[in-house]
Amino acid sequence: MSWQMPSTVDEALRLKADNPGATVIAGGTFLGILSGQGLLDNDEWISLQNISELKTLGTEGDLSVGAMVTHRRLELTPVVREDWPGLAQAFGVVASPRIRNVATIGGVLADADYASDPPSMLVASRAVAEVASVRGMRRVPIEDLIAGHYETTLADDELITRVVVPRPRGKGVYRKFRTRSREDRPTVAVAAAREDDRVRVVVGAVSDRPQHYADICAAWKPGDEDSAREIGAAYAEAIRCIGDGRGSAAYRRRVVGVEVRRVLMQVGP
Amino acid sequence: MTDARITADIRYSVDHKVPGMWHLRLVRAGIPAGTVTAIDATAVDDEVAVITPEDVLPHGKYGCQIADQHVLASEPKYLGDPVVAVVAATEKAARQAAAAIDVRYETSPAVFDELEAVQPSAPLVHAAHVTSNSDSAYFEMRPQDGTNVCHHFRIRTPGLRGRHEPNLLIDLPSPGDDRLADAFADADVVFEETFRTPAASHVPMEPHATVAEWVDGRLEVTTGTQTPFNLRQDLAVLFGLPAESVRVVAAPMGGSFGAKTFMRTEAIAAVAAKAVGRPVRCVLDRDEVFGEVTRHASTVRMRIGARRDGKFVAKQMLAYLNTGGYADCGPGVAQKMGYAGVGPYRFDHVAVDSYCAYTNLPPAGAFRGYGAMQSAWACERLVDMLADELRIDPVELRRMNLLRDGDAFCTGEIMRDTHFEELLDDVAKAVAWQDGRKGKGIAIMLKGMQTPSRAEAAIRSLPDGRFEVHSGTADMGQGSVEALTRIVADLLDVHPDRITVPCPDTDLVPYDTRTTSSRSTHMMSRALAEAARELRNGGTVGRGRIVNEGGLDPDTGEGIASSHWHQGAASAHVEIDDETGVIDVKTLYASSYAGTVVNRPAAELQNEGSMIMALGSSLFEEISYQDGQLVNPNLSDYNIASALDCASIQHRLMESPGAEVHGLGETAVPPVPPALGNAVASLGYRPRELPMSPERVLASRVDGRPAAR
Repeated sequence: MSWQMPSTVDEALRLKADNPGATVIAGGTFLGILSGQGLLDNDEWISLQNISELKTLGTEGDLSVGAMVTHRRLELTPVVREDWPGLAQAFGVVASPRIRNVATIGGVLADADYASDPPSMLVASRAVAEVASVRGMRRVPIEDLIAGHYETTLADDELITRVVVPRPRGKGVYRKFRTRSREDRPTVAVAAAREDDRVRVVVGAVSDRPQHYADICAAWKPGDEDSAREIGAAYAEAIRCIGDGRGSAAYRRRVVGVEVRRVLMQVGP
Repeated sequence: MTDARITADIRYSVDHKVPGMWHLRLVRAGIPAGTVTAIDATAVDDEVAVITPEDVLPHGKYGCQIADQHVLASEPKYLGDPVVAVVAATEKAARQAAAAIDVRYETSPAVFDELEAVQPSAPLVHAAHVTSNSDSAYFEMRPQDGTNVCHHFRIRTPGLRGRHEPNLLIDLPSPGDDRLADAFADADVVFEETFRTPAASHVPMEPHATVAEWVDGRLEVTTGTQTPFNLRQDLAVLFGLPAESVRVVAAPMGGSFGAKTFMRTEAIAAVAAKAVGRPVRCVLDRDEVFGEVTRHASTVRMRIGARRDGKFVAKQMLAYLNTGGYADCGPGVAQKMGYAGVGPYRFDHVAVDSYCAYTNLPPAGAFRGYGAMQSAWACERLVDMLADELRIDPVELRRMNLLRDGDAFCTGEIMRDTHFEELLDDVAKAVAWQDGRKGKGIAIMLKGMQTPSRAEAAIRSLPDGRFEVHSGTADMGQGSVEALTRIVADLLDVHPDRITVPCPDTDLVPYDTRTTSSRSTHMMSRALAEAARELRNGGTVGRGRIVNEGGLDPDTGEGIASSHWHQGAASAHVEIDDETGVIDVKTLYASSYAGTVVNRPAAELQNEGSMIMALGSSLFEEISYQDGQLVNPNLSDYNIASALDCASIQHRLMESPGAEVHGLGETAVPPVPPALGNAVASLGYRPRELPMSPERVLASRVDGRPAAR
């Protein structure tokens, strides 16, 4: 088995370009489960743990989050809590402190698990990932990064190096709806980011990727319960929900309607 | 005392390793029922030993109550049944070898649901039911030949005996063709309902871990087990040895909750050690722990009759236990589920039929609460439904019917040292019952202890002035070492530092039935008191022996169900999100009768632990199967309660001056689900099935009839 621990992004990119089949590991909370269950059996690994430049967190202007920044730091850093409260909230409700201490923003996006908390809030917040390879760097909005179940648009030689989240132009709220333990993944994840008198509502954990409908959101009247209810009903209608151990498709559809209405009432008027 | 758990000085069974040992991996059946037709091991390295069902055939069948299991299955009974074992010098080589083996099968029809399994048309999981010779088969079995029922336990109170009744009831008979209909003749109201509980996992933090070794013709097994003496006997029979030629060392366990009882992987590890002529270690992966043994999924049909004034008249109960592919101790669970479902109440007539049914699922066995949880769920939900119907306060309805000292239980035994009314009042007060009942629920239950059973102990004075306690009580995390230390230090009036308690080793310690059913502190403390008395009388060794006699007639349920009763109650206060069905537990309270408490912090932890486990069972714990495949065998897909779920938990140990020590390991499990269920019901729902997932709660909404209260 080979376990590479590069100390710079350039070195990591070179290693990945030379060996596109290697598995890149960040916090290891997701890959640990996969290998433990025998679903992932790879002899070649590249760990990002020693790359300090991926651990920087910039809060001047837009929020600039290195791929190796942990959930816990986003949850607890005062300026993030102050200026990006919806984001701090979404990262703060993931699993348990033990997980949040090691799970990273790059990891949660790269694994593209449908039942994660942060992606829907990141999409609602218009976050953009910086994706690098030896060929150069490109910027990819999160909604274009996550393609489906455990599937991203990253090329084999690419790494997420940074996520940039614009300063909010209004209130942001993340609602995690659980049906089992308080440490469970969401059954329905609803994020809303207010942009002046408009809103971006994103629903996660109910289908293969976060779902956003700009056309439905366009009808929003801030603070209006009927409008919130209609938008909730429209989201419930529009999304093809999946069923799993946390809830059936029919139950999820019902909860989407309720939770979208509730999140809209929280971000309005 | 410094807790060895905190200083990392404890050597759990999973820490036990010996030089030169090899590693065992099991190849598990990919079908739920059928026959192995071919095993292709040609891709396996020559240095790896491969053991097949044919190799273990000479050992015959084992089973703690029904002899129904081969060490490896040529006719697998569930998806995951071990069919081949591989033994290799490294764990990795063993895993690779297990993956390289190709097993072919011929499938046969399978049955998964306990109600389908008792239908006459159901495929038979086992052709015949042979009672085990093991000491663990401590009562007469009543297998129903030609069906999947390996034990049928009955209670018939005197007025209902001697009638010609069908052997197997699939449903509660309608009054017209019910041979017991007269039992309900004095009832103004008869109410019935069906309740379900799914399989659940014990989720011990430590997996099953065993090292087996043959030393000069003797078998030595170091393993995490609650049943060292039962295990010694069963291993001896399998290998045709006298019991003295088998040594079982019960290493401390990192949790068990019933999962590490009777034979688990010890037999195959012993076979493997013999085959390769070296020590062999077997440690299960988490997904294997999920399938090793589960709680019994159960369906309980219950009918209760009462007079208009609330006095209970009769109860009829049909319990169907899904014991999976092998009986394990399912017959014993069926018996306990049977009488616990009657509840701590007086009835003129009681009829119970409890059926332990085979299915093609992983075996179900001992699980904290031992059947009482499943039937208390039915009993206590039904009492509340009856209270609604009669428009009587549920606390008062219970009070009116509770067993008190001098009353006869349905088994005929006369109750003494009863504290049900105090428990009832205590839990009602904890949720301010007097201030309104909306969102509140209570439940009460009784649970038996292993009866008959025997505990022996010895205390040896060592030359250095310390005392060594020889006791078969296994430490599974409940802190038995600390309890035994304290008890003996008190008895001998010496500092606890002078007491040493080696872990149970059948070569060293005298016989003890097993560490189950919350019996150890109760039984062992008295055996130690005798031993201490003898030691004080002189000599270097004192011995004690306590026997509790009793047992139940399997056809009438008459006898002594329990030499002392675990008495517990719980209450809950909840809010429900009516749009989503999510239960928000504001208060969850349990009160357990403790008699005299030996070690308060440990006793409190037992109460809390029981409540946490029961909270999970109430709200979200459930093993899911699809066509016999366990689909959530990991802690992401199967949730247990987290610290954040437990904020609402409060409890009490009810003591009584000068009373005997009562077991506490499980008392707070069974009353919790019905207390929560009754709280949910008070808000206009009618939960019948556990766990009460939000989706099930919504579906149970009483339409057109909002909360009756």
